[in-house]
Amino acid sequence: MNILVFTKRVAATQEEELRITGEGQAVDLSKVPFKVNDWDNYSVEEAVRIVEKQGGAVTAISIGDAESDEVLRRAIAMGAKDGFLIDSGQVLHDPFARSELIRSFIDKEKVPFDIIFTGVQSEDDQFGAVGGILGAIMGLPYSSMVVGIDSVEKDHVVVRRELEGGLQERVKIATPCVLSIQSGINEPRYVSIMGIRKASKVERKVFKAADYAAGTAKIEVVKWVYPAKKGGATMLAGELADVCGQLLGILKEKGVCQ
Amino acid sequence: MSYALIVSEVRRGVFEERNLDSIGLGALLGKETVLLAPDGAYEINEKLVDTVVKVKSAEDVYLNPMNMGKILEQVFGARGKPDYILFTQSSSGTEAAAYTAGLYGFPVITDVSAYDKEAGVFLKSYYSDKVFGQFKASGGPAVLTVRSGSFREFAGEKAAAAKAETMEGAPAVDSRTFVEYVEEEKSDIDITKAEFLLSIGRGIGNQDEVASYEELAGVLRAVLSGSRPVIDKLWLPKARQVGTSGKTVKPKVYLAMGISGAFQHIAGMKDSDCIIAVNKDAEAPIFQYAHYGIIGDIHKVRDKLKEIAKA
Ligand SMILES: Cc1cc2nc3c(=O)[nH]c(=O)nc-3n(C[C@H](O)[C@H](O)[C@H](O)COP(=O)(O)OP(=O)(O)OC[C@H]3O[C@@H](n4cnc5c(N)ncnc54)[C@H](O)[C@@H]3O)c2cc1C
Ligand SMILES: Nc1ncnc2c1ncn2[C@@H]1O[C@H](COP(=O)(O)O)[C@@H](O)[C@H]1O
Repeated sequence: MNILVFTKRVAATQEEELRITGEGQAVDLSKVPFKVNDWDNYSVEEAVRIVEKQGGAVTAISIGDAESDEVLRRAIAMGAKDGFLIDSGQVLHDPFARSELIRSFIDKEKVPFDIIFTGVQSEDDQFGAVGGILGAIMGLPYSSMVVGIDSVEKDHVVVRRELEGGLQERVKIATPCVLSIQSGINEPRYVSIMGIRKASKVERKVFKAADYAAGTAKIEVVKWVYPAKKGGATMLAGELADVCGQLLGILKEKGVCQ
Repeated sequence: MSYALIVSEVRRGVFEERNLDSIGLGALLGKETVLLAPDGAYEINEKLVDTVVKVKSAEDVYLNPMNMGKILEQVFGARGKPDYILFTQSSSGTEAAAYTAGLYGFPVITDVSAYDKEAGVFLKSYYSDKVFGQFKASGGPAVLTVRSGSFREFAGEKAAAAKAETMEGAPAVDSRTFVEYVEEEKSDIDITKAEFLLSIGRGIGNQDEVASYEELAGVLRAVLSGSRPVIDKLWLPKARQVGTSGKTVKPKVYLAMGISGAFQHIAGMKDSDCIIAVNKDAEAPIFQYAHYGIIGDIHKVRDKLKEIAKA
């Protein structure tokens, strides 16, 4: 079983204040730390587990600048055999352009595969679209929101898809196929700094995005804006003890706490 | 012909409420609205759109993105391509939207939560609602997924009931087939019944902290719940998850500690009577939905709350 897994390096913005520059031209990420996309971490783990059980190889692929080598090394430390970087210079916002670049790369380099894994979504852009577009343009069956892979057979897989409110559906999909992996599907293994350093010894290949057809972007960002303020909360301010006292007062007033 | 095609979502015989947001955006776009739905005995308010097209396909066939591609081919054949195709922002909606865009080479913008008619741009969240991109699409009908709760107020009744049409279903593909539904395991804790939820997020840092928040919940007589990452990491059981893929809760008080306020979480708790958020990031989106907020370190707040409440 040869599995291609896509892994993206994303800005870890959860605890950062984001600044939009100029008249909304860009979001300044120069002071923000970067990390592996959470969803891709689960997806790499799932691919490695399948290959550990059934044989074959996992190839990790990332589109981005040279820094994305870091997420490839991470994937190798987790058990991927190879890492391919498609060096794209600039961020491609349009998921369609990214999917076309991936298809063109796989075709031209004749990368063999039985299954392609992506994450359900990128943490930064939250499109949740690259996997589905890729499946369609490659003529492959597709499922997103995969929270369990029940069986992997020669010509098909049986997976569980997450729906809303705790409900799941089991579907059967012919291989080769594209699956988008949802967080929580497994417990990703711990990767040490040492492990990542050791993975540096495995050769990663770098390809130039310009050598592949990416098509023109079908969507574009006209402007970046901050969220519209919705009224917002009454902020409790003061010394810690005072703030906590106020909080307990609210709980009492609402009748949930004596 | 100029129209907006609304691909509605019907699951287990229920016309999902989030379809109202697609209908609302359809109305805002100012086009004729054509609602696509699988044949079935559920109720739709037929005054909300101009035309309802019922496809004679079983529900699970209709919800399969590859079959949807074939069904849409028939729709395009019968009435030409629309200007917009609207899906729900949900598990099946996003899946079918991306697949449809790929099949036909259409532009796609997901998780649309606002539309600026004058500028012709759609707002899409980036970085869990910390900023939004104003997006423009070109070259073909734009495929959009519509964030639940964003547009339903624009879904107004028209004077007359919609024109009703039916369409033959397309033959189902066999490369992906529905097997069965899998229900969530039963749990003895039902967070939807709690009057007071203490909800913890990724901000607690690591598993070792869970016990002390459990203790705080005990002191305050609250039930402990969590955001998705906390459940994904197995720090709390699945039955305790609040959000679109967990439970929708409406307690008297929802105290969120270390939760940023991603849309999928907000959708599950925004109707609580009183929302209190504690977060060290003053820009955390959850403060937009909370009634009361504390900017600060959750561990310190936890320890102080315990100390005062016990005294
Ligand atoms: C299909 C799908 C379904 C989903 N369903 C759900 C769902 O049902 N429920 C759900 O919750 N999510 C769901 N998600 C995930 C969602 O998009 C977010 O990733 C998630 O809600 C983030 O959880 P969080 O707020 O705990 O973590 P983060 O976004 O990482 O936020 C952590 C917060 O803690 C704060 N913090 C950190 N340390 C401290 C400290 N010491 N003191 C104070 N504050 C601190 C940070 O400032 C930050 O705001 C879903 C996603 C997808 C794609
Ligand atoms: N630049 C990229 N490099 C590697 N993988 C990517 C990239 N962009 C998207 N993907 C993959 O596609 C998934 C969905 O991305 P998106 O459609 O942007 O939400 C991600 O979880 C990744 O697996």
